[in-house]
Amino acid sequence: MAEIVLETKGLTKYYGAKPALDHLDLRVPRGCICGFLGRNGAGKTTAIKLMLGLLTPTAGSATLLGCDSTALTPAIRQRIGYVTEGHRLFRWMTIGRLEEFQRAFFPKQWDSRLFADMIEYFELSKRQKIKHLSNGQRAQVSLALALAPNPELLVMDDPTLGLDAAIRRQFLEGMIELITRQGRTVLFSSHILADVERVADRIVVIDKGVLRADCPLEQFRASVRKVVVHFENSAPADVELAGLLHFRRSERQLELTLVGVGDAEVADWARQAGAERFDFVEMNLEDQFIEFTAPPHRRRLFQWEKA
Amino acid sequence: MRFLALLRKELRESLPWLLLAGLLLLGVGLLALRAQVRFTNQGYWSYHPGMGPGEDIAAYRLVRNSRLAEPALWLAFIAPGLGLVLGVSHFWVPLFARTWSFLLHRSTSRMSILGAKLGAAILGFLISLGLVWTGLYWYACRPGVFPIPEPIQILVAGWIYIAMGLVVYLGTALSALSTARWYTTRIFGLAFATLAVFVMLVQWHLGWVFVLAVPAIAILLVQTVAAFLSREF
Repeated sequence: MAEIVLETKGLTKYYGAKPALDHLDLRVPRGCICGFLGRNGAGKTTAIKLMLGLLTPTAGSATLLGCDSTALTPAIRQRIGYVTEGHRLFRWMTIGRLEEFQRAFFPKQWDSRLFADMIEYFELSKRQKIKHLSNGQRAQVSLALALAPNPELLVMDDPTLGLDAAIRRQFLEGMIELITRQGRTVLFSSHILADVERVADRIVVIDKGVLRADCPLEQFRASVRKVVVHFENSAPADVELAGLLHFRRSERQLELTLVGVGDAEVADWARQAGAERFDFVEMNLEDQFIEFTAPPHRRRLFQWEKA
Repeated sequence: MRFLALLRKELRESLPWLLLAGLLLLGVGLLALRAQVRFTNQGYWSYHPGMGPGEDIAAYRLVRNSRLAEPALWLAFIAPGLGLVLGVSHFWVPLFARTWSFLLHRSTSRMSILGAKLGAAILGFLISLGLVWTGLYWYACRPGVFPIPEPIQILVAGWIYIAMGLVVYLGTALSALSTARWYTTRIFGLAFATLAVFVMLVQWHLGWVFVLAVPAIAILLVQTVAAFLSREF
């Protein structure tokens, strides 16, 4: 079994009486590219800050590279790359000055060649000041700064937020460059599902601070399904089916979103409900994620359709 | 090397304010001294009472009776002003710019990060204000500039103002690091600094001023260190 480089046990954070993260149990094995998904405000940034010891947990613990997050030593931090949300860097520095600053903390492992190559690849110059860079260019500098020390674990907090499609692609290609190196582990949060689909081999989904899924990407893709069931007369008003997330009802059809329900189970249910036929609907990861994390009240959003 | 990198960064970020404060003090100091030299050359000079050896006098009154009175008055405003600006620049601006996360994820301890900020502030005060103030005093005491050399108390009074700047810096830092509400304990840092500055100014003996300044700095320093090490960013 692969070594676990990042583990959380019952990781919980409350702000006052409000839970931002509720008993997160997570295990990220070495070499894994883990997409950390959740809607805005789901608790992704809180979880990442707790993992990196920037916040103190209300309960539970997080362990990175065998070290408790509340007591990360400089030696452990040296092995962890971190791309902050919004790529907040020192605006007055030039890229060259920022490299010099960052290199001082990784004296033995800093790969100047890699940094220079990435800066060139992103068509930047070391003489450019951070304050004169666009969001996308700052993201590229952030990535280069995080990758140049060859970290064993790279944690990125919504690295592609606010970037246009072309820059996002360029950014991801830079990340894939890292991924291809042996033994690197990446945890990156995002709500751009296409990005996750391109690079992740495992996904973690949290919703309102609660872990909803932690599985290989392919398993998630295979588990979350949508089926449209057609009825000759009126569709039933309610659905009782294990694995049902939610459903939409119209006059003669039901649209069911299911998790972990096989073809045979769907066929059995359809037969018992008196359905004429049913069709599985092709879903991309974004559709699956939206359906998977849709709030329960969505069930009542389309009640007008009953009329 | 890591600490030096942090210190360099903090000094570079503080540089515009340090230069501004230093040049302002130098400018008003030189102008005031030139005016005093002209005044003295015209024969208008006398020994001012309250400046003799062993005469205790409040810090704010002491400066009245010196040829460095005007620049000292400026220093009494510049030093706390610089303390406030450096405190905001070191501890508040990273909150607004959201650069704490990047800075704190360094392969060094939080204490080093704080130490670099405090070190940059102390060095800044020493170089931009301390050196300039001592230089002005040295110039005023040079033979041939004034008939009577300036008393040492005026030099000490200037350094007390500089220490007050440090007190204001630490008070600002403490308020910036607090996560409480302004009308509760968050105001403590700035309020304590203001009170300490006031108490120090009205003391009648420089020895007492020193005795007050040391615990004021120590209390704020201990609180700031504790707040920084335990704060969530």
